[in-house]
Amino acid sequence: MSMDTFHYDNKIVRNFGIAAMTFGIIGFIVGLIIALKLIFPDFLGFIPELSYGRLRPLHTNAVIFAFAGNAIFYGVYYSLPRLCKAPMWSPVLSQIHFWGWQLIILSAVLTLPFGITTSKEYAELEWPIDIAITIIWVVFGVNMIMTIMKRREKHLYVAIWFYIATFVTVAVLHLVNSFEVPATLLKSYPIYAGVQDALVQWWYGHNAVAFFLTTPFLGIMYYFIPKAANRPIFSYRLSIVHFWSLIFIYIWAGPHHLLYTSLPGWAQALGTVFSLMLIAPSWGGMLNGLLTLRGAWDKVREDPVLKFLVVGVTAYGMVTFEGPMLSIANVNAIAHYSDYIVGHVHNGALMWNGGLTFAMLYYITPKIYKTKLHSVKLANIHFWFATLGAIFYVIPMYWGGITQSLMWKQFTADGFLQYPNFLETVVQIIPMYALRAFGGALFIVGAIFGVYNILKTAMNGSLVDQEEAQAPALVQTGEESGGHWHRKLEGKPLKFTVLVVISILIGGIVEYMPTALIDSNIPTIESVKPYTPLEIEGRDIYIAEGCNNCHSQMIRPFRSETERYGEYSKAGEFVYDHPHLWGSKRTGPDLHRIGGKYPDSWHLRHMYDPNSTSPGSIMPAYPWMLEKEIDEESIPNRINALRTVGVPYADGYEKLAIRDLRAQAEQITNGLRENGFSSVEGIEITSDKQIIAMIAYLQRLGVDISGTKDPFEGLPSNARMGANIKEN
Amino acid sequence: MSSSSTITTTNCYHCGEKCVEDELISDEKSFCCAGCKTVFEILNNYDLCTYYELDEAAGNTVPNGIERKRFDYLKDEEVIEKLIDFRNGTTVSASFYIPNIHCPSCIWLLENLQNIDEGILSGKVNFLKRKVTFVYNSTSTSLRNIVELLSTIGYEPNLKLGQLESDQREVKDRRLWLKLGVAGFCFGNIMLFSFPEYLNLDQSVSSNSFKIFFGTLNIVLALPVLLYSSVDYLKSAWAALSQKGINLDVPISIGIIALFGRSLYEILSGTGSGYFDSFTGFIFFLLIGKIVQQKTFEQLSFNRDYKSYLPISVIKISEDKELSVPVDKLEIGDQVTIRNQELIPADAVLVSEETQIDYSFITGESEPVLIEKGTLAFAGGKVIGTQSDFVISKKVEHSYLTQLWENEAFKGEDKKISVTSFADRISPYFTIIVIGIALLSLAIWLQIEPSKAFTIFSAVLIVACPCALALSTPFTLGSTLNILSQNGLFVRSTSVLESLSNTDTITFDKTGTITESGNTKIDFVGSTLSADELRFISSSCRTSTHPLSKTIYKELNTKSLLAPDDIHEVPGKGLFANFGNTSLWVGSQNFLIEQTDLSYSDFPDSSESGSVVHICIDNKYKGYFRFENNLREGIGSLLAKLSGSYSTFLLSGDNEKESSRLVGLFPNRKSMLFNQSPIQKLNFIENLKQQGKEVLMIGDGLNDAGALKTSSFGIAISDDTSAFSPACDAIAEGDSIKNLDTYLSFSKAAFKVILFSFGISLCYNLVGLGFAVTGHLSPLVAAILMPLSSVTIMAFTYSVTRVIAYRMGLRIWE
Amino acid sequence: MGVIVVLIAFSLTVALGFLAAFFWAVKSGQFDDPETPSIRMLFDDKISSTNKNKHKKS
Repeated sequence: MSMDTFHYDNKIVRNFGIAAMTFGIIGFIVGLIIALKLIFPDFLGFIPELSYGRLRPLHTNAVIFAFAGNAIFYGVYYSLPRLCKAPMWSPVLSQIHFWGWQLIILSAVLTLPFGITTSKEYAELEWPIDIAITIIWVVFGVNMIMTIMKRREKHLYVAIWFYIATFVTVAVLHLVNSFEVPATLLKSYPIYAGVQDALVQWWYGHNAVAFFLTTPFLGIMYYFIPKAANRPIFSYRLSIVHFWSLIFIYIWAGPHHLLYTSLPGWAQALGTVFSLMLIAPSWGGMLNGLLTLRGAWDKVREDPVLKFLVVGVTAYGMVTFEGPMLSIANVNAIAHYSDYIVGHVHNGALMWNGGLTFAMLYYITPKIYKTKLHSVKLANIHFWFATLGAIFYVIPMYWGGITQSLMWKQFTADGFLQYPNFLETVVQIIPMYALRAFGGALFIVGAIFGVYNILKTAMNGSLVDQEEAQAPALVQTGEESGGHWHRKLEGKPLKFTVLVVISILIGGIVEYMPTALIDSNIPTIESVKPYTPLEIEGRDIYIAEGCNNCHSQMIRPFRSETERYGEYSKAGEFVYDHPHLWGSKRTGPDLHRIGGKYPDSWHLRHMYDPNSTSPGSIMPAYPWMLEKEIDEESIPNRINALRTVGVPYADGYEKLAIRDLRAQAEQITNGLRENGFSSVEGIEITSDKQIIAMIAYLQRLGVDISGTKDPFEGLPSNARMGANIKEN
Repeated sequence: MSSSSTITTTNCYHCGEKCVEDELISDEKSFCCAGCKTVFEILNNYDLCTYYELDEAAGNTVPNGIERKRFDYLKDEEVIEKLIDFRNGTTVSASFYIPNIHCPSCIWLLENLQNIDEGILSGKVNFLKRKVTFVYNSTSTSLRNIVELLSTIGYEPNLKLGQLESDQREVKDRRLWLKLGVAGFCFGNIMLFSFPEYLNLDQSVSSNSFKIFFGTLNIVLALPVLLYSSVDYLKSAWAALSQKGINLDVPISIGIIALFGRSLYEILSGTGSGYFDSFTGFIFFLLIGKIVQQKTFEQLSFNRDYKSYLPISVIKISEDKELSVPVDKLEIGDQVTIRNQELIPADAVLVSEETQIDYSFITGESEPVLIEKGTLAFAGGKVIGTQSDFVISKKVEHSYLTQLWENEAFKGEDKKISVTSFADRISPYFTIIVIGIALLSLAIWLQIEPSKAFTIFSAVLIVACPCALALSTPFTLGSTLNILSQNGLFVRSTSVLESLSNTDTITFDKTGTITESGNTKIDFVGSTLSADELRFISSSCRTSTHPLSKTIYKELNTKSLLAPDDIHEVPGKGLFANFGNTSLWVGSQNFLIEQTDLSYSDFPDSSESGSVVHICIDNKYKGYFRFENNLREGIGSLLAKLSGSYSTFLLSGDNEKESSRLVGLFPNRKSMLFNQSPIQKLNFIENLKQQGKEVLMIGDGLNDAGALKTSSFGIAISDDTSAFSPACDAIAEGDSIKNLDTYLSFSKAAFKVILFSFGISLCYNLVGLGFAVTGHLSPLVAAILMPLSSVTIMAFTYSVTRVIAYRMGLRIWE
Repeated sequence: MGVIVVLIAFSLTVALGFLAAFFWAVKSGQFDDPETPSIRMLFDDKISSTNKNKHKKS
């Protein structure tokens, strides 16, 4: 009875490893493609599925959820059973988890390039996939928790805590951020609008980074650094403090992504303060990791695993310092919307996530294949490619970001914008884009060496797919009962207070939820009206094409921005924006006040060939908008869905919607004809084409606040019919 | 023993000791002794050789052959019950203290013993405490089997009489951490919910509903902190007041109540947002302080009494049967057998012919004494050489050693704790002043603007809350404790540091304190010895257990050794050995005269202070080895430095023969006392204290225990801090004692730091008061002032103590 | 900005969950020994009694 014998499932570990590598390479390459597209807009021609706006979400999803995601599971499925001295609880769940996750990724590949997206960053996948994600995530959670329950080692090593935190928090984040109402099978609208949607989105967005790209990798760090260096972590005490402090601060740093937006000032400041507080735990963790290697640097010199770990942890240190700095209002004012942020995240992604992942691959593969690494030399070469690649990527981005953002803010002596034409600021940094692409390419080459090396290693050995292990069963001694007497003493008041807290909390929540969800306490502006059917279609095309990846719709209250774009954005203007389209990056100019700035014909030509209106523009051309047709029949569903989430369309409007849509489309098309735009380069312009909807939407952007005309005016259904604010 | 005289330099695969002539081979690995070989074979047999892969030569050298009966007493249910932690049906858990635990391999092996003994369910090692806890199934194995197994593989647990008396189960008090957790959690969230208020959210309707929402949340979150986290302070304050006393917790509690009450009122009445963030933060920091203050060195134990030295059992001989019995069951008249190196548990009369007893434990006299049949041997004496039989003449609890302990000096409960005594002393004035100011401002404002009066009254009470004040002491002392420990002085707790800093008189024990036991230097007087002769001598001395022969063997440290063809030892007198045709005598004058044809005339008339061992080869007198205890390195300069500012004394249990060497170290002969019995030492210190001196006593063995305990601050020296040391306030690593003067001045400095940080925190309070009395104490001001002051104090004390330590040349970082 | 209430509600519940976990951990003695676990995790559990000669190396 003394020793249990059991088997670690190395096969599932191996599979996750393969998945991570495969999707890693794919994700990187997609990244390189879009990087090149910023230098050569015509790169890969005019295939809608391969346009920048659609590939960019594919890239982020691929590297975050496919590469990093599989890497996390790779690490967890290897380390957790070994820390618990128990195999994963259910091989079946492991399988479901693995294949389910890969299917989700596949579905991402099959939706995002086809314009099926929610436009919410890192949550672009549409509702059916959201549900799938939830299920699979729970499968993972159950499998993990049960393994922990069935463990043979009493103590939960700190890494396990980080894994648990990952599971719980990501589950909640995903849930909260995915409250959406389906309009069609592949189209949904979030229940939150405008500011609220933005807040939720970035509360999620930030914590996705925190709990998907940080905590699990910290767990991995706490397992693999000691293992690789074969020495205990510098201070185990510190690692425990690290965990608990991180857990209690992280969740609140979200709002710093919305500084200077229409988010209430105090909420923004909140984000800043808590972000700043984060430095302490983050650096505690980093130092703990690095100091573990003190006196072992000779090892680091030889061992590629340690090399990657060290650089990874160092990068983590840099990024976690940068983050809080960027959350300081004045810094943020410069860095936000610029390429600096792109550099910042890739610093973390390439070295911290990438580095740790490759470290794991180099550590685990030889172990589970019972052999040595095929070529240490090659691994070192990989290391240098990766590091140089990261440097060549990050530094130009920092440089370009700051340059451009300063140009945006540059005024002439007599108070005019120095670079009134946004394009000037873009052209300026294209060389940086080139360098970035080069860096990325280096990183990919390195990664390919890595993959080759791993595969070779695997071939040299043979997989021990069921690794036998032994450990004594965990005996449930009544030891704690030794402490019972004092529990009884302090237990009661404690339990009491805890219960009080929880109950009152729930009470309070129940009380506030309705008010919270119904009236969204946003100062409403009388003249702001819902979108017309055609504009809705236009907006959904805007989303499908991923315009928000390069164009913000949020003018910050800086003179430099009001000069350039017009009056700054008010919270009240977004109350009908499901979802918000504030964007987080300005590769192109802000569009919130684009409405009425140019004639329809300008938009027509610009969409067909940006260079015709703005020479040197790197915006992709959208010729297909002149050919693809407006999706009319789903309009009623969309109206209904939007009504459900609170847009005040009068009941029954969905029946009149299509008529309105056609009417408005006709108006625009006629307008174009009158100005001699009955066709562009031989393509006839008809009212049923997407371009018309797009124009309608763009011309509507940001005009309501002036309150000059009711958008429904002149539509078959009169204004009152269209939207009746009073009703809600 | 094979007597093939090989010359070899291989090291033992098990323990790493160098293997000498009788190298043993098993599985192509060489071992220094049968013991190590056995262990290896066991491990190998049970496939536990990972043990050797984790660390090179991880093993401990094992005394050859462990007789099973030694552990017979572990069959005794009573004994078992006392030793185990708890029992749960047939599942039993028992913990042992095993000094030999020294490396990861040890952990690994001890946690994998189930491979050897099926009955063991689990083993868990606590590396710091060198403790292993086994859970075993009492039907399939027994405590005795486990202890035996441990001993055979070189991890003999340290079973001492003490364990039978005090029950070992330490109930870990983790409440403080829970309280800290709650406080921290609520603090964090309340901060979050108070922020909007400070950044005063826009005056829209919506923000008003937020005010209410956040307000309620804050109240909800503040409750657990009041009812759970802060409750100790309230209790202690109440206790103090009910005894008409005032301790620091009184003003703290006033602050707590004022903070909570005021905040509650503000929120409920909607007049403000309250100070809950300050409140919770305040508790949070206080608790951190408490935890820092409670820092102790778990791995060391400071309060051991003589029982921790006595074996738990002895072999009793009744009608020629040997059985081991717990010593506390010994009756007068029982005959017992004490082996080499074992302690005599109770005063007993020797029945064997003669034996050597080392009393260094009780008297400090390093040299063993020879006693004949019929002499009374005292408990605590260590038998040297062959095993010998005794008849118990006093029960353990009446023995000399025990009497020593019965002395009231030991009865005296622990020295009175003076943790915050510093702060406590000033807290009455503090409190009174605060309340005074509060009332005053109340009165004044009642004149000016009655409406504001009570707000201001409470505000004063709030800011006056001596948070920083309460933190200064624990944080300073905490980091002082840390620094000292990093320099090899482990102080029992922050509470005793004050008495260390007040020291004005220092008394030293001699043996093992200012002289380094173990490090005795020998030199040979007489005709020079040839290499071969030296080899003979050390080879033969190696086999003897007598301390002097051991020293010779160690000091000569001959590379290659020989196995004597014939050797026999007369315990405590000398030994005779035969190498080929050379015969060798090593021993006392009388021994040589008896055994050889030498006569007194052949011996030089030695007037040696230390002890001597004479050498005679082939009936020719060669000369003698002279032994001298070395002074600890640096002790001279230390005493020189000390003599300036402190009065120093020597209290030695030893005879005066070495006094000559010590003259000059101490101010004058009067300050050097020899032949001091433990009681005398104790009384001497008592007198000093009578004269109002703050006496620091430094000693090692049990003989100093009394002195250490009576002294204002007792430091026990031990070259292995995990080994047993008598009750004391601090344990010092042997070589660290040379810096004693630095430690003293450092501890003095620490208290200056406290004073200074008091100053700082008072400033904060004054600033706060300024705001308060003028009616400008907004929650924001409080929320900034409170954490700021606490953090300042933490940072200040931490850094300043380290700077000072650094200046004094102390280590401040591992 | 009512959504903030929602976020707070969720975050607070999560946080409370972790607080509970913290209590469990401290009470069940998870953090009593802050040293050995970090060493223990370094051992990879070898299988004993199966092909011994595997261990005869070193």
